[in-house]
Amino acid sequence: MGQLSLVGVKKTYEGKQVLHGLDVEIADKEFVVIVGPSGCGKSTLLRMIAGLEDITAGTIAIDGTVMNDIDPADRGCAMVFQNYALYPHMSVRQNMAYPLKIARMPQAERDRRVNEAAAILGLADYLDRRPAQLSGGQRQRVAMGRAIVREPSVFLFDEPLSNLDAILRVQMRVEIKRLHKRLKATSIFVTHDQVEAMTLADLLIVMNKGVVEQVGTPAAVYRKPASTFVAGFIGAPAMNLLPATVGREGVVTFDIAPHLPLVRAPDLAPGTPVTPGTPVTPGTPLTPGTPVTLGIRPEAITLSSHPERGLPATVDLVEELGGSRVAYCDVNGLELAVVLPAGEEPYEGRQVFLDFGDRGWHLFDRISGKRLDTPTQEVRVQAGLRQMVPA
Amino acid sequence: MTTDVVRAERVLTKPQVHTRPQPAAKPRPRARTRSRLDGAAGHLVMVLLSIVCLFPVYWMVVTSLRPANATFETSIWPTSTSLDNYVYALQAIPILRMLGNTLLIASVVTVIQLFTGLLAAYAFARWRFRGDKLVYSLVALTWLVPFQVVMIPNYLLIAKMGLLDSVTALILPHFASALAILLLAQSMRSFPREVIEAARMDGARSWRILWEVMMPNLRGTIASLAILIFISTWNEYFWPLLLSRTPANSVVQIGIQMFMTTEGTAWGPLMAASTMASLPILFIYVVLQRQVIQSFMKSGIR
Repeated sequence: MGQLSLVGVKKTYEGKQVLHGLDVEIADKEFVVIVGPSGCGKSTLLRMIAGLEDITAGTIAIDGTVMNDIDPADRGCAMVFQNYALYPHMSVRQNMAYPLKIARMPQAERDRRVNEAAAILGLADYLDRRPAQLSGGQRQRVAMGRAIVREPSVFLFDEPLSNLDAILRVQMRVEIKRLHKRLKATSIFVTHDQVEAMTLADLLIVMNKGVVEQVGTPAAVYRKPASTFVAGFIGAPAMNLLPATVGREGVVTFDIAPHLPLVRAPDLAPGTPVTPGTPVTPGTPLTPGTPVTLGIRPEAITLSSHPERGLPATVDLVEELGGSRVAYCDVNGLELAVVLPAGEEPYEGRQVFLDFGDRGWHLFDRISGKRLDTPTQEVRVQAGLRQMVPA
Repeated sequence: MTTDVVRAERVLTKPQVHTRPQPAAKPRPRARTRSRLDGAAGHLVMVLLSIVCLFPVYWMVVTSLRPANATFETSIWPTSTSLDNYVYALQAIPILRMLGNTLLIASVVTVIQLFTGLLAAYAFARWRFRGDKLVYSLVALTWLVPFQVVMIPNYLLIAKMGLLDSVTALILPHFASALAILLLAQSMRSFPREVIEAARMDGARSWRILWEVMMPNLRGTIASLAILIFISTWNEYFWPLLLSRTPANSVVQIGIQMFMTTEGTAWGPLMAASTMASLPILFIYVVLQRQVIQSFMKSGIR
């Protein structure tokens, strides 16, 4: 079993609060990834679960037992560190067997577990080598082996792939996922790499500045980011976030001079009365003049050659990604990324029209950054965008 | 024909030499000559310094080998050699016993100071407790207190304990050393924190972490420190001079001094005794020096 419960967890360093009361429930056998930028408190949280950091307030419970004052070795957790943290003077075998030796496990059982873990991780030929004689990937495997032999109920991974090169990182990522499927132990993986987070997680916890921004499956977090932070952090290239205002006609406009209507509604003459206070989002009164942030993913924008169907823009830079391309377009001083399918050939300096389509819009409160629910078709019709909705 | 082939080979091989990556700023010939001259000057300084350091040792050995009537000869190479000075030194004082005492004291003090140093350094490096910085500063301050200040109180304590003129008394005040504590604490502070945390996760407590995880990886520091402690204890003169009453309970440095009397100095035997006193320490230095280099190369902490 490995069910984790974090209730009101806070951490303060010398009077400065770094974790502001976290509440998270992690089910048994789940692969949870905590993702966030450097300094957001994700590693601190992991170290608190491990018992390497004191808990200032709140409780951390594993399988119903509060672990706040329990020694790290007795929590049933095993940890894999970013810098491998192997014992340099011990062989691979000794490194892996060390926790079992401390637990005074009989030699035969120790050997069995070490050999089994070595076989799983492909380390059988390296058991008598020292860590200094191994490559980065092999060292990380040894670190994982040392965790596996303990048969813990919770695996903790503290940015374990950060020190590996790009190819090895992908290989190890797949191995970790495979290992999780095989061992079926609850795993908590900390990373600042959103690709790692998206690919590994059953459940994603996005953290920023010591608070949990969003908890959900990778797909849900991607599709419905709860805040501008999550929207900008998850997804590559990042979501375009544009300062906008709800206009009098219900049209969302950019906040740059001259005000550009986000989409044109030719049949809606300027000055057409829109009842002030018309709810744009169900349950959220969004009156004209409300400052919002409009989010749209680069893959949701298409290039159009019809002026009626989009915003005029200039292609500033094109990035080749093989399967696709990213065009960075300039819209009156505002930069927007657009993912183009392979084959489309925009060249730098070309005039294009950006078609925002009718899906993949995200509206956020400009001040709090919190999500205002995605405008539905109905809402957008109300907002005077009828012409943009395909028949 | 053959000449053509050779010429063709030259043409082919020449560009290969030139296509090798060259440093961006290739030193010009004059600059190269200058750097060579700088290197030679550096070596010359080092050779001169080595002569300054080694000559007294050489002179000691040479003087000890000169016969009594040639002690004050100034020729660099002795014209005749004799072991008389060694025989005399061995007969005049119990020098082997004194060497044994010195070896025992230096060994025991080295082991004890390393042991207490490791324990104290671990506490300073790993534990946070009330007043830890103050205690650490006090330990550092004791390093600056000259021996002459604590000499009388120490002497009185030893006298009250009835340990005057004993080997134990020569060891007792050296149970802990500020130098050992400070040096080891510094090394332990730079020890990778994650390795210690991994050991904690593996179930190791402080005792195990110190002896099984940290100590094997601090061999370089420990070996260097062992050399320092051993040499300084071996060369200790003032404290044994205060406490010792009989040659059998004394150390070799006091033995050497015995050849300097009011009637004059017996330079030949003194140099012979000095040579005998230097040999063990030279041997230990060479042995541990190798250990230091090996441990630095093998540790591989990343």
